Amino acid sequence: MEKSRPMSEVNIPYAIRAYSPEALKAALRKMILIRKFEEGAEDCYTRGLIHGTMHLSIGQEASAVGSCMSLSDEDKITSTHRGHGHCIAKNADLGKMFAEFFGKDTGYCRGRGGSMHIADVAKGNLGANGIVGGGLPIAVGAALSAKRLGTGAVTICFFGDGANNEGAFHEALNMAAVWKLPVVFVCENNKYGMSTSTERSTAVKNIAERAAAYSMPGVTVDGNDFSAVSEAVDTAVTHARAGNGPSLVENLTYRWRGHSKSDRNRYRTKEEISDWMERDPILQMTELLLSHKVISEAEVETLQAETTQVIKDAIEFAAASPAPEIEDAIRFVYNEGTAA
Amino acid sequence: MPVEVIMPKVDMDMASGKITVWHVAAGDRVGQGDPLFDIETDKAAMEVEAAASGYLHHRVAEGTDVPIGQPVAWIYAEGEDVGAPPEAAARSAAGTAAEAGPGPASERAAETVPAPEPHAKTRATPLARHLAAKAGLDIGEIAGSGPRGRVQAEDVRGELHQPPPSKGAAPAGFTAENGPLAVSRSIGGAGTPIILLHGFASDAKSWGPLERHLGDHPIIRIELPAHGKSPKLRISGFADLVCEVRRAFDKLDLGSAHLIGHSLGAAVALAIADTRPKTVSSLTLLAPAGLGPDINGAALAGLGNATRPESLGPWLKLMVCNERLISDGYVRAAMSARADAGLRSAQSALADAVFPDGVQAFDLKSALDRIEVPTRIVWGKQDRIIPWQHALRAPGRVSLHLFDNVGHIPQFEIPDEVGKLLRAHL
Amino acid sequence: MSADSREELRELSYAEAIREAMDIALGRDERVILMGEDIGVYGGAFQVTGNLVEKYGTDRVMDTPISELGGAGVAVGAALTGLRPIFEFQFSDFAALAMEQIVNQAAKIRYMLGGAVSVPLVMRFPAGSGTGAAAQHSQSLEAWFGHVPGLKVIQPSTPEDAKGMLLAALEDPDPVMIFEHKILYKMKGHVPEGYYTTPIGKAAIRRPGTDVSIVATSLMVHKALAAAETLAGEGIDVEVIDLRTVRPMDRETILASVRKTGKLICVYEGVKTLGVGAEISAMVAESDAFDFLEAPILRLGGAESPIPYNPELEKAVVPQVPDILEAARNIAKGRV
Repeated sequence: MEKSRPMSEVNIPYAIRAYSPEALKAALRKMILIRKFEEGAEDCYTRGLIHGTMHLSIGQEASAVGSCMSLSDEDKITSTHRGHGHCIAKNADLGKMFAEFFGKDTGYCRGRGGSMHIADVAKGNLGANGIVGGGLPIAVGAALSAKRLGTGAVTICFFGDGANNEGAFHEALNMAAVWKLPVVFVCENNKYGMSTSTERSTAVKNIAERAAAYSMPGVTVDGNDFSAVSEAVDTAVTHARAGNGPSLVENLTYRWRGHSKSDRNRYRTKEEISDWMERDPILQMTELLLSHKVISEAEVETLQAETTQVIKDAIEFAAASPAPEIEDAIRFVYNEGTAA
Repeated sequence: MPVEVIMPKVDMDMASGKITVWHVAAGDRVGQGDPLFDIETDKAAMEVEAAASGYLHHRVAEGTDVPIGQPVAWIYAEGEDVGAPPEAAARSAAGTAAEAGPGPASERAAETVPAPEPHAKTRATPLARHLAAKAGLDIGEIAGSGPRGRVQAEDVRGELHQPPPSKGAAPAGFTAENGPLAVSRSIGGAGTPIILLHGFASDAKSWGPLERHLGDHPIIRIELPAHGKSPKLRISGFADLVCEVRRAFDKLDLGSAHLIGHSLGAAVALAIADTRPKTVSSLTLLAPAGLGPDINGAALAGLGNATRPESLGPWLKLMVCNERLISDGYVRAAMSARADAGLRSAQSALADAVFPDGVQAFDLKSALDRIEVPTRIVWGKQDRIIPWQHALRAPGRVSLHLFDNVGHIPQFEIPDEVGKLLRAHL
Repeated sequence: MSADSREELRELSYAEAIREAMDIALGRDERVILMGEDIGVYGGAFQVTGNLVEKYGTDRVMDTPISELGGAGVAVGAALTGLRPIFEFQFSDFAALAMEQIVNQAAKIRYMLGGAVSVPLVMRFPAGSGTGAAAQHSQSLEAWFGHVPGLKVIQPSTPEDAKGMLLAALEDPDPVMIFEHKILYKMKGHVPEGYYTTPIGKAAIRRPGTDVSIVATSLMVHKALAAAETLAGEGIDVEVIDLRTVRPMDRETILASVRKTGKLICVYEGVKTLGVGAEISAMVAESDAFDFLEAPILRLGGAESPIPYNPELEKAVVPQVPDILEAARNIAKGRV
């Protein structure tokens, strides 16, 4: 098959073939926004402006944005504790995200959820999750709704390598396959569940191999390669939308930062981290778009300046927002008027 | 503009950190990502890398504890002027961290004065306390009939059932006195004192209803041996009993006194009046013993033997005409006043000495004939303990007051009537 | 015979009443689905779903794999995205397998997201002892879940309530857990025809009385009523309150009863310590009704042990009618 194609087309990466220049530029912009959003969050955290902890996905931007390329607002995602990128890929409002980090009433969760629970149901984001593997069955449920109600929506279920050893992973994949539900399981394998490497925790070499146990397609791709990610996930989404059931896509990637803000990084070498930093997904994406003349150097510079300003504005919005009322601390536990 | 180096928050609950060592000397060049300094928090130590390249200036001293977000140094670009340290960036939570509240509560608690010893508590149900508080009664003064002597609501209601005190008439309270027998004296009052002698198996508190109707006279209550708070003396006979009570009476050293007695206490009062005619101003005998042989021996034995409210109740009811006055709460309260088995056995021994085989073994008819002090006999015509007809043996100068529909304890059943009668002559 | 009097005479078993409620719900709302292990052609472990699969098909009466955690999570996700699932656990004990989805997800999602979403999920749990199923199939775990804000926990004790409260649970926008005592499934009682709801969060006074208040749950309501009959012959007038809802608890009905009688006994099958009765007792002790207490509050609850197999042992570890009689006599006669 490949041999019969003209060389020019074979050498053009999937992303360039599949998407318009505008879509690609928007994708790059989202990746840069994710990076700057998280750097901004980290800066606010070190200044003591953000309470609790947070899990940064710096270095994993291609996985988040590439996976959501063919989704509409009707399509759902479930996310993880390392979910800022997924929110932004699913078009979240950065001001409302920062406001949530700052615990403000204008935040996505009105200050009740924080970094680990941001959801944007209107955009199809059913929420990050503080429990490893917590979102897997929920994603299957969302897919069940879509099938039962005939909405045509697909659900992408993001999870990490750590979750693949939770019982919920196996139960969810099995049920999704048994009922042929429109769900795509996207494993962001960043090599470590907190400090424990996949080599030490997981019996299979590639997590995608586990798809075979549930009789669904499984594929492992370079998660820092935007084009590879979008190709694999788009294929799975098309498969699901056509009523053929779930797939498992494994994006091999790396988090540059620690697991959370209390990580002392005793399990990784500086060499390993700098090797992966050299495979920066944003640099790779920028080079891809530059080399295919989708974007110019000048446009990249403009994009950098514009996104810096967006982040600055978002932080200012959050800082200036009002805090929730203390007397409302237990509001939203139940629907109003339904609980004594 | 130099780059600010701040004390970073590296832990969830970190408020400040201490710089243990600088890896770069002041004025030296540092590269981005180079180790810059080590910090120590209360949990861990860690290395902090330089966020920018340049020359390090305005380092805080090693060992300094710095709130998070506060600058610890500045990194200057090549050739940049190094003047005074710039202002810290406005956006920082350091202020709030520095203003953190006072120390843990335990430290403050250590400074507080230890609480005084709690008062001994009365066992009472919440409802009993509630009712007592509402009525202005001291719960500690109410005898409890519940498990472990707990005051129940019924006990409080029983207490409330007594006619309410008319304002100013009731003695303010009593003080106990030392002596051979338990003697309590009302606080305040004016005029000739009244001495009260209760009957068999009763005690000083039983006078409560009548006391409220006795005007402003000082009241002195003497408890018979083996009754109330008096010692459980072994009494060999009626003369012995009179002797003990008279000793207490003498110790009062009164110029004059009105003597009121009930039942066995009336007999004792009569005997004292017979032997201390100068001291006794008047004598009131309520259903007195000693004027005939008959007495309800079964009731005496029953009262003495009862160990629980169920067995005491029927005998208490026999004492009155209007049995509804003897509520369950009243019975439980009476039983709890008789909870002491030693007291009960001493009383039984006394009964056996003065009323052997259920017969009044002493006759005071001649004493009553002898005495000259103004004397009244008050009796209920439904008395089922001592027949009221014994009153008919009294000589003509003794006033008789016989009440219909009243039993053995007129001062309990009709305290207002009895009080009115007494006040007219005191 | 008029239609009205036929209506009065209609009796269904507790299980039939639940099935009728689910039948009505499936019939009137396309979004309603049933999920659970062996609820299809098998009809459910206790034959509660019965033949509903024949009427509504396997798409709406779904047999799940034996995957309580995953199954509950699917139900949470479906509820979050537009369906109204009724998820049957085969035994309430298996809730332990699904704790994560019930407690960390279903209960908290609405709050964590600042009220942006609801989880209108109904979960049914066959519960309780008395069937010889021993320690892992006989527990009464309602207090576990009553401890979790965000959940509603109900225990209907009659066929009429079983139907009305299930339909109320489906109308409720928040997750509702229904604990159904297995011994009650065969109990018959009057059940009105058609659609009606019985409010969640409202206790029922099953027998008014003046001397002692008994607050009981589930099967214990019937034991308390039996005891109350005997006690009435002894001159002890017992008020029996059917709690019906563990969370949110109907405080006012309990407090009003305690203000009247001054004496309270809590009777529940779950383990006594830190159980439903502990909450009721503490709630009364904290309230103004405390001032009306005439005796210590008594709790009759399950023994501090797993449920044993031997039938005599099994009876011994949960409150029985003689236990209630003894407690009521003691408290009524001032012996405690």
